[in-house]
Amino acid sequence: MARYLVGRIGQAVVVLWAAFTLTFAILYLLPSDPLELQLAAAGIQQDSLTPGQLAALRAQFGLDQSILAQYWDHLIGALHGDFGVSLSQGVPVTDLIGRRIGPTLLLSVSAAVVALIAGSVLAYVATFVRWNPLRVFLTRLPALGASFPQFFVALFLIQFFSFQLGWFPATGSEGAASLVMPVLTIAVLASSVLAQVLIKSFDETLRQPYVMTARAKGLSRTAVHLKHAFRNAALPAMTILGVIVGLTVTSAIVVETVFTREGVGKLAQESVLSQDVPVVLAVVTIAAAVFVVVNLIVDLLYPLLDPRISHTREVVVV
Amino acid sequence: MRTIRRRSLFAVAVSGLLALAACGGGQPGASDGSGPPKSGGTLKVSFWPDNPTFSCIDPFQVYWIESRSIIRNFADSLTDQDPETGKIVPWLAESWEISKDGRTYTFKLKDGVTFANGKKLDARAVADNAAGWIATVKATNGAAFGSSYVQGLTGAKVVDPLTVAFQLSKPNSSFLQATSTTNLAITDPAEFQLAPADRCAGKGVVGSGLFALDHYTAKVETVLTRRAGYSWGSELSENRGEARLDKVVFDYVAEDSVRTGNLVSGATDIAWPRNPFSPQDEQLITKSGSTVEKRPLPGVAYTLFSNTDPGRPLADPQVRKALSKAIDRKTYATTIFGPGYPVVQGPFDSTTPYFEPQAEKLAYDPAGARQLLDAAGWTPGAGGIRFKNGAELKIDYPVTSAVPGGELLQAQLKQVGINLVLRPLTPAQQATYTKTGDYDLTSTYFTRADPGALQFILNPDVANSKGLANRAAPAATVTQVKALFAKAIEASEPAPAYAELQDFLVDQGVTIPLFERVQKAGIGKKVHGFAFTSESFLKLNDVWKD
Repeated sequence: MARYLVGRIGQAVVVLWAAFTLTFAILYLLPSDPLELQLAAAGIQQDSLTPGQLAALRAQFGLDQSILAQYWDHLIGALHGDFGVSLSQGVPVTDLIGRRIGPTLLLSVSAAVVALIAGSVLAYVATFVRWNPLRVFLTRLPALGASFPQFFVALFLIQFFSFQLGWFPATGSEGAASLVMPVLTIAVLASSVLAQVLIKSFDETLRQPYVMTARAKGLSRTAVHLKHAFRNAALPAMTILGVIVGLTVTSAIVVETVFTREGVGKLAQESVLSQDVPVVLAVVTIAAAVFVVVNLIVDLLYPLLDPRISHTREVVVV
Repeated sequence: MRTIRRRSLFAVAVSGLLALAACGGGQPGASDGSGPPKSGGTLKVSFWPDNPTFSCIDPFQVYWIESRSIIRNFADSLTDQDPETGKIVPWLAESWEISKDGRTYTFKLKDGVTFANGKKLDARAVADNAAGWIATVKATNGAAFGSSYVQGLTGAKVVDPLTVAFQLSKPNSSFLQATSTTNLAITDPAEFQLAPADRCAGKGVVGSGLFALDHYTAKVETVLTRRAGYSWGSELSENRGEARLDKVVFDYVAEDSVRTGNLVSGATDIAWPRNPFSPQDEQLITKSGSTVEKRPLPGVAYTLFSNTDPGRPLADPQVRKALSKAIDRKTYATTIFGPGYPVVQGPFDSTTPYFEPQAEKLAYDPAGARQLLDAAGWTPGAGGIRFKNGAELKIDYPVTSAVPGGELLQAQLKQVGINLVLRPLTPAQQATYTKTGDYDLTSTYFTRADPGALQFILNPDVANSKGLANRAAPAATVTQVKALFAKAIEASEPAPAYAELQDFLVDQGVTIPLFERVQKAGIGKKVHGFAFTSESFLKLNDVWKD
C-alpha cells in the first residue's frame, strides 16, 4: 500500500510538472511580447521608448534571459508558492488568486455535490421505473443535459429566474442566492455526465446473476436496487468523479463570466485574453493540482467500495 | 477673459447642434414630478468590462471612459464645462485670468475646500499637482493619457495661499477646457510620491469630490461613499452640497443582455454600455418603464485610421478616399444602432466644440469610389475584387469582439472591389499590433470636449500609440497635421484653424469616420436627477433614489 501511495504521488508530481511546463511553453509561443504587455499595463507604449530604455526594462523584468533560464526562474518560484506579478494588474499573482479562490471552491464543491446527488437519483430512478416510455425518457435525459452549451443554459436560467421571476440575482457573488443558478448551470452538465455512466453501469449490474439470486431469495426490488446493485454500479461512476471535479473547474470559466462572479475562472478567462502569463500559469497549475489530488483520492477509495480491488501486489486467485 | 466670451459665442452653435441631435441629456436637478429629492440609498451602476490591459483609476493616467465617469464623482477640477453651451464655469476656482500672451493662467481658488482625507486644497496643492502631472508625462515618455492636456505646461507658482498661476511655454487654447476635465482633476499631491502603477490601483488617490473613493478593485468593482461636509459643487448642479446618495457601487458586467436584464429586473439602477444599446435592448428598457438617456460623446468619432507605410495599399491617398466613399454611413448607423441614430459628419462627434460638419464629403458615393480606384490602377478581377500588378486589393483590418458592424463594413467595401479582411485579435494582441505596423486599417476614438482630443491619436509627440500616429499618414502629412494643431492651439481664436484642420483630415483621407459615438445609459425607474457632464460622463450631484 505504501509503495502504491508513493508511486501514485510520484505520478501526480509528474503530471503537475508536465502541466506547468506545457502551459509555459504554449504561453511563450504565443505571438506577443510580455514586456509590451507590462508596459501597456503601466500606460506606456513600447514605441515611445528608446532602444536603450527598452533594454534596461528587459533586464529589469528578466526578459533578456534565455527562455530556459526564465522557465527555471518561474518553476523555482512556483515551487516556493511565488508565481510572480500579474502583467496586467501589477499585483502579486498569489494575492489575485487568494482573493478569488474561495468563491470558486464554494461554487465547484457545491456544484459537484449537487451533480452527485442529482446524477445518482436520476440514474436510480431511470433504471428503477418499469413504465417503458418514462424509462426511455429518463435514460435519454442525460444526453440532452450533456449537449446544451453552458453559456446557453446560464443565459436561459438568467432570463427565466432573474428577469422574469426575479428569484435569484443574475450577477454578483454575494449571498447564497447568487450561488443557486451558477451551481445549477454546472450541475446540469456534470450530473448528466455522471448519470450517463451510472445508468449504463446499473443496467449491466442488474443483469448480473447475483441480482437474480437476490431477487429469488425474496428481496424486494427496492432492496436489491439500493443495497446490492447500487454499490457495484457506483464503481465506474467513481472513476469519473475526478473528471466531474475537473469539469466543475473548467465550467467555472464560463459560468463565472456569464454570472459576473469574482472567481478564479473569470480571472483565468481575463488573463488568457490579456495574455497575463504569470496568472495563467498559476491558475493552470492550481487547477492541475486539484485534479491530481481528487483523482488520487478516488483511486484510494476504490478498495473501500469494492474489496476485490486492492492496491497491494498480491496474486488474486479467481 | 476674452477667450471665455468667445467660447460662449460659439457655444450657441454647439447648443443648436445638440438640439438637432435630439440629445436627451438630463436637466440638472430634474425633479420629474416625483416629489422632493430623497436622501440615502445605494446606487448600482453596471459598466461593460474594465480595461483588460490597463486597469487604472488615477485621474491623470487613465483614458478609459468608465473610469473617468467614476473619477468625475470623487475628484473635482478647477473649472467645469456646461454640457449645453460648452462654456467653462468656475468650480474649485472662483475666477481666473489669462494673460495677454496666453501663457499664464491665474486661478483664484475657493476657500475652505478639503480633500477627502481632510487635507487642505490650496494653491500649494494645485501647484504640486501641476508638478506631479509634468513628472508623470516624463515618466511615461508622453504616453500618459494626460500628456496631450498639459502641452506646453512648465509648472505652477503659488501667488498667495489661494491663488495659483500656471505657466506655459507657448499659448495653448485647449488648456482652459483641460482644467475642467477629469484628468486634470486636483488630487492630494501626496499621490505623486507613489509609482504610477500604484496610483493606478487607487493607492493614494484622494480627491475633493462629493464622494470619496472607498476602493477600486480592477475589473471587479469600484465603491464610492458620500462625503460629509461637501459644499463646493459647480453652478452646473442644482445640488452643490452633499450627495443625496450614501453609496455608489460600480460593477463590470460582460454580457450586454445580462446588464440590460439587470436593469429591467431592477437588480441594477443604471446600465451604462460602451457601445450603444442594440435597438432590441433599448425597446426592452423603455417597455419596462425605465428610460434611455443619450448624448453623443464629444471628441474623436469612431474612426478608421490607415497604415500608410510604403507598399501598403492605403499609402495611396486616392485609395483611402475611395474607401471612405465606399462606406454607406447612414445604412451603417441605422442597421447597427437602430433607426434615428445620428450619422457621423466629420472627424469629430457633433458635441465637440469647433465641430464642422462635412456630411457632403462623407456621402456614400460608390461610383466615385470605383472611379478613384480605376484611376489608381486597381482593376476589377474575377469575383469583383480589384487587382493591381497581380496583387489583390486586400485590406487587413484587425478587430476585437468589441468592434460593432465589421461584417457590414466588409460587405459595403466589397461592392466597390475592396476585400476587407477582418482579423480577430485578443486584447493582448491588440495592445501590440499598432507598434509593429502589422495592419492596413485600424479603428479608434477618444473622448474629450475639445478638438485637442485628436492629438492623443494623431500627434506622435503626445499620442498614446506612436506607431499608429506615425503610420496614419505619410511623414509630410503628419507634419502638416501637427502644424495645424499648433496653429489652432496657439491662436487666440482657434475656430478657423480647427475648421481648416477638419477639412484637411477628411480631404487627405487621414481620418475615415465610421460612426458617431453616442453614450447611452439605461436609467431605472427609481432613479431621478440623472445628468451627463460636458464629456458625456455620469454626474451624480443631483441623483437620488426612491
